Amino acid sequence: MERLGKISVWLLLLLCPCLAGAQEPTKAFDAKETVLGHIGDSYEWHIASFGGHDLHVSLPVIVHSPASGWHCFSSEHLREGGEYEGLRVAAEGEHKGKIVERQADGSDLRPLDLSITKTVMGLFINSLLLLVLVLGTARWYKKRKVDSPAPRGFVGLMEILVSSLVDGLIKPCIGENYRRFVPYLLTVFCFILLNNLMGLIPIFPGGANVTGNIAVALVLAFASFLAINLFGSRAYWKEVFWPDVPAWLKVPVPLIPLIEFVGVLTKPFALMIRLFANMMAGHAVILSLTCVIFVTVEMGMAINSSMTVVSVLFSVFMNCLELLVAFLQAYVFTLLSAVFIGLAQEHKAPEKA
Amino acid sequence: MGLLQPESGLVFWMLLSFVIVFILLAKYGFPVILRAIDSRKEYIDASLEAAREAERKLENIRSDGRKLLDEAEQRQREILREASETREQIIREARRKAESEGQRIIAAAQEQASAERDAILQDARHQVAVLAVAVSEKMLRQKLADETSQTLLAERLLDEVEQTEKQ
Amino acid sequence: MDLGVIGAAIGAGLAAIGAGIGIGRIGASAMEAIGRQPEATDKIRTNMIIIAALVEGVALFAVVICFLAL
Repeated sequence: MERLGKISVWLLLLLCPCLAGAQEPTKAFDAKETVLGHIGDSYEWHIASFGGHDLHVSLPVIVHSPASGWHCFSSEHLREGGEYEGLRVAAEGEHKGKIVERQADGSDLRPLDLSITKTVMGLFINSLLLLVLVLGTARWYKKRKVDSPAPRGFVGLMEILVSSLVDGLIKPCIGENYRRFVPYLLTVFCFILLNNLMGLIPIFPGGANVTGNIAVALVLAFASFLAINLFGSRAYWKEVFWPDVPAWLKVPVPLIPLIEFVGVLTKPFALMIRLFANMMAGHAVILSLTCVIFVTVEMGMAINSSMTVVSVLFSVFMNCLELLVAFLQAYVFTLLSAVFIGLAQEHKAPEKA
Repeated sequence: MGLLQPESGLVFWMLLSFVIVFILLAKYGFPVILRAIDSRKEYIDASLEAAREAERKLENIRSDGRKLLDEAEQRQREILREASETREQIIREARRKAESEGQRIIAAAQEQASAERDAILQDARHQVAVLAVAVSEKMLRQKLADETSQTLLAERLLDEVEQTEKQ
Repeated sequence: MDLGVIGAAIGAGLAAIGAGIGIGRIGASAMEAIGRQPEATDKIRTNMIIIAALVEGVALFAVVICFLAL
């Protein structure tokens, strides 16, 4: 019975390319475009195509242009290169794939774009989910007394997560006054982790490349930047602007302070790039592996079938790896934020040997 | 290249939702969870401490009981030992008394017996003397004319008898 | 093919090699250290992740430059 199941799965895998090949024989498949399209943002949430018919979720477009004021409409109007209220999605040029407004002189102007795009929608869904999960856990605790039995299931998982993060990461990294940073670091960890995991789910509520978008990573890194520097101690700022080095290194030309100041900026910048690049690369690799199936359609049945098997196996492997990376990146972001905060908190002078 | 340019709209929405999520979670989410976990940790610690205290008390009670039992056993053994000692002593005493009494009785009996024998001997000697005198009188009355020679002879004879006895 | 694309590809490869050597050395040393002192595993692991993240950060800068060249 088990063997029969395995065989049927393999047969199904072998048949898939035939079906795919039968359906879109005319259009040449552009792997780069597909991958970049999925990684990037879009004004509608594409779910699937059935033989020329697209299944998608239309999202609201909110645009303010200096010429014509506010526009707010469904992205349905912009599909297939449509133009609505003088706005359209640019197919070419500097703002490719973004909404532009045609000016009187024929040039395109990029208006202020506050549209609820795919990434924003994913962000909202994930934020809501995070709120529900954490506040639900908090509610569970509120409803119970101290002497009730320990939680099981999801609440137990949250408890293990929270207590291991606080005791194993935040407390040792920051030091004595770690308490004020605990809510921020836990929020960041859960936020990144949930967004990463939701990004791995391939269909509608998940699948948006939220943390692999530089704007999201930018905001998170900026938050860590504020947490590091707003609560930095005097010793920390002295170390930045008047470090303990020979005077000629800092008086005529503030060489070391300049380097230190650049260091202050590069820390959150590295946080941002790390999160963004890791998550984006993960999505790109999985999508590329899936694209292998469609790229090899034209190479004949035998190659296509074998490549399909390889692609599925590699995709499964990459998905497992990405599960690890999703956790690891959330952990690393939190860990490094905590370490940097801890460095800025150090008010004792370093012990002289 | 396009991937590296943060979209202003996305930054705006991200900032908004992240700040909202952060405020809500930092106010109503994590502090509640952490407080609950901390208070449960304290509760568990207190419970453990109480259990340890109870255990120690129980152990004390148990050791007290054991001590009492030991003492009682010791006491019992002592009493038994004392009783057996007393018994031994009584028996020894009785034996000793009986022995000495017996010896005393035997000695008295021996004394009495020797006294009686002496008396009997004295008596017998007297009787023998009287008898000898009588016999001699009768014999001498026939042989000896005078009284003096008779008496002298008798005395000599008696002395001889005594000498033989002494030997 | 565009020269920029070739440059980006070479750059990405070099960055990957550098990061691979760096993280590999960190991992090897950490494993050795854990083997010598199994009781310090947690501390070593945390520091290993921090250092690996720093190395990776440099590699990611290189990747960003590659993206700019693409």
